[in-house]
Amino acid sequence: MAKGKGGMLRIFIVFLIIEVALVILSGNFSRQIQVVNEEGQFELTHAPVHFDLQAKISEEFQHDKYVADEGHPLEIYGSEGLYNFFAKLSEKFTIFGDPTPIGTFRLLRMLLIVDLVLLTIGFLVFRALKTRPSQPQILFELLYSMFDGFVEESLGKKLIKFTPYVFTIFLFLIVCNMIGMIPIPGFMEPTRNLNVPLGLGLMVVFVVHVTAIAVKGPVGYLKDYMTPLMPLDVIGEAAKGVSIAFRLFGNILGGAIIILVVSSLVKFVLLPIGLNLFFGMFVGAVQAFVFTMLALSYISVAISD
Amino acid sequence: METIDATAMELLANGIMKASAFLGAGICMGIGALGPGVGEGFVGGKACEGIARSPENQSLIMRTMLVGQAVSESTGIYSLVIALLLIFATG
Repeated sequence: MAKGKGGMLRIFIVFLIIEVALVILSGNFSRQIQVVNEEGQFELTHAPVHFDLQAKISEEFQHDKYVADEGHPLEIYGSEGLYNFFAKLSEKFTIFGDPTPIGTFRLLRMLLIVDLVLLTIGFLVFRALKTRPSQPQILFELLYSMFDGFVEESLGKKLIKFTPYVFTIFLFLIVCNMIGMIPIPGFMEPTRNLNVPLGLGLMVVFVVHVTAIAVKGPVGYLKDYMTPLMPLDVIGEAAKGVSIAFRLFGNILGGAIIILVVSSLVKFVLLPIGLNLFFGMFVGAVQAFVFTMLALSYISVAISD
Repeated sequence: METIDATAMELLANGIMKASAFLGAGICMGIGALGPGVGEGFVGGKACEGIARSPENQSLIMRTMLVGQAVSESTGIYSLVIALLLIFATG
């Protein structure tokens, strides 16, 4: 246990160092070194900071737009410069793309990146499967058996086949919620866009009803709704999907906006790292867990008599 | 009576709309945060009692507490979404 904690601490420290280095690299200290030509000296000057909080947050609510204005010169300093660097670096890959997309294009790119991360992790872990497991294998087996236990607890031994579905949702959401911590401009949590949580919520509702029909049979399923309060029941069923979707969406969007506001107040020094740890790791993990647990409990309510 | 020209009228209307949107966002967040605060505190207190009574069930109680808190938090989150929409999505 002590070893595990030390490993976790090491990960945190590495994360902190990387983030501090990136903050410094991206020039968000609003200061920059300038060479003064006449005397050949270096001088610290205040760089003009172009940061419009209102515009930055309003970006969340913008319509889809494919920004590719050619005449606009590329920024060199600041976070924009870092982004341009990565954009140039990855011009050949269609996923990363060149222009700074807004709205759905950005969302789709982030979703593809999340999928790539998941596929890579899955491939790496799967390739190294052993009877005497390595550390990542232990971690994933532990997580999987934990979810196995949850599913068995709430759905029973017969429906243990739901574990892959539930575990996939959990892994996807946890990677989605944490990928926004990577301080590359243009990176966002895919769950910050309402479309992703709403899609997942509709999927959960679909799975719940299909499971109910499969377990109870069509007659038994319809019998549940043959009450005087049928309209309310139907509305309640639809509200389930909307409610878990909005819970996830609101948490992630609220966290992101709080990070933006506090960052602009303290000029991007140090405090956003702690906020990222809280909103990215803690809230992200808890919300992913809550989403999966609620999906499980919806299924277990639907199949119970 | 003085006549007000169209642009001034429009500016006034815009200002009133923005002011009322901000006011609405503040009220929405303030009242919307009451319920989740009470609810989450209640759930947390009960979970403390439960853990004190049966420490061997701690992990189960923690899990149930987290889910329950997340559920009772949702009204606050809805009001947060509404407040953000009011602030940033209206004019």
